Amino acid sequence: MEYSPLVRKLFATLPRCGELTAGPGTTVAGEAMALERGAWVRLEARLEGGRLVDCAFRAWGCPHTLGAAAIAAERLVGWRVGTPAPVNAHALAALLAAPAEKLGRLLVVEDAMQALLQGASGLQLPVSAH
Amino acid sequence: MQRPTDQPIFLDHAASAPLEPRVAARMCECLRDPALQANPSSAHGPGRAAATIVAQARAQVAALIGAEPAAIVFTAGATESVNLAVLGTARAAPVGHRHVVTARTEHRAGLESCRELEREGYEITWLRPGSCGAVSPEQVGAALRPDTALVSLLHANNEIGVLQDIAAIAALCNERGVPLHADAAQSVGRIPVDVNALGVALLSFCAHKLGGPKGVGALYVRRRPRPALRPLVFGGGQEAGLRSGTLATHQLAGFGLACELAAQELPGEEPRVRALRERLWAGLEPAAPVWRNGAVEPSAPGILNVCFPGIEGESLLFALEGRLAAASGSACSSASAEPSYVLTAIGRSELAAQASLRLSLGRGTTAAEVDAAAVLLVAAVLRLRRAAPPTASERIA
Repeated sequence: MEYSPLVRKLFATLPRCGELTAGPGTTVAGEAMALERGAWVRLEARLEGGRLVDCAFRAWGCPHTLGAAAIAAERLVGWRVGTPAPVNAHALAALLAAPAEKLGRLLVVEDAMQALLQGASGLQLPVSAH
Repeated sequence: MQRPTDQPIFLDHAASAPLEPRVAARMCECLRDPALQANPSSAHGPGRAAATIVAQARAQVAALIGAEPAAIVFTAGATESVNLAVLGTARAAPVGHRHVVTARTEHRAGLESCRELEREGYEITWLRPGSCGAVSPEQVGAALRPDTALVSLLHANNEIGVLQDIAAIAALCNERGVPLHADAAQSVGRIPVDVNALGVALLSFCAHKLGGPKGVGALYVRRRPRPALRPLVFGGGQEAGLRSGTLATHQLAGFGLACELAAQELPGEEPRVRALRERLWAGLEPAAPVWRNGAVEPSAPGILNVCFPGIEGESLLFALEGRLAAASGSACSSASAEPSYVLTAIGRSELAAQASLRLSLGRGTTAAEVDAAAVLLVAAVLRLRRAAPPTASERIA
């Protein structure tokens, strides 16, 4: 298996891997697991004023999966409720120069991200007036 | 043999052992000597000189397994030896004998030879080993039938190192007049192997697992009673008609010397390598949970197959890249991440198989290398566990 320089760098440093740093705001999480595909990703973020101000990940999977989770965590910081997801599986695959057979695992990263964004959006939904 | 410091720690001796420098020197001598360039089958003087080298190699190879030189058939490697043993014996069996007994945990050389026989209409009994990794003599005995043409089993499993009780199985086979073939690629030169004590009819092995060159192997064919064998390669009738083709003098000289050296060093090397393997296992304790795949004993001395629950195999290999050469428990270079059929056959889950590594030691492996490998592995495993979701070790096992 060949790995791109970015995969190598992300795997070596695992930025944003681990626990969220303490701070104000509400913690939201998104998780997706497809063990048969070889990936399990959990993203946690701190939501403050309708914006994600911090994000961390934990992941089980191949180097591409870990690299993709790191990119997703990085891109999620600054995301505002109501805006599109900052990245998707195809964009992650292109960034990481991942082979086509890894797309299934990167979709697990995307699923975890979508789950987190839905959770964050739900927290920010206005209370409906009856 | 000193390992260059810029090279990874080599713990993949089960795949191929480094070429012994004395063997390389001997092969170079043969290649350079103008008097040894003739065809060993030629009747003239230069041919006879080459034939002398071949005869010496045959005697050295035979001596390592307690065989007569005339019982050795040279081949291009263990895979060819296994193919010749399995296909050649089954095809030469008496009319109506179209049943073969083997195990699900065989090396692919044996598995694929048996699958080829299935395609030809033979019936194969695929024995399932216990969690220890070996099939019992009782299982083999129960599988034997009046029409059984052959039993073919690994002596030492190439992934988990577990030794099968070939002597007991051979006794059962010999009682019933069924030839037993043992694939001994992982045991010859690593533990004492004596074909007479084992009682096998056929035994396959090769040079490159014991410090010799790649591309050369041998099939022991018992002389009395001699199993019927049909060749796979036809031509000039070399090797008593069982394997035609010009013999590669320099390859055989290397194979012969590798066998002689292995025989000399075996009494010291076997316990040394076994002790190093246990030292490595002990060194992995800080990475607990760590499981050992297959029985601890009886086993080939150099193979340690371990499972790190909660770890993804490709990431573990990548974390060790350039620093430790070992074999994964899966073919995880693709998304299919096909798990080891040996590990799943002995009861490991697909995820546990993918979280496994085969670490194989051999001649030249040092205590310092084993200690350094353990430190590398523990650090990589702990880092990946910290990166994984908190319950990964329980879920991925």
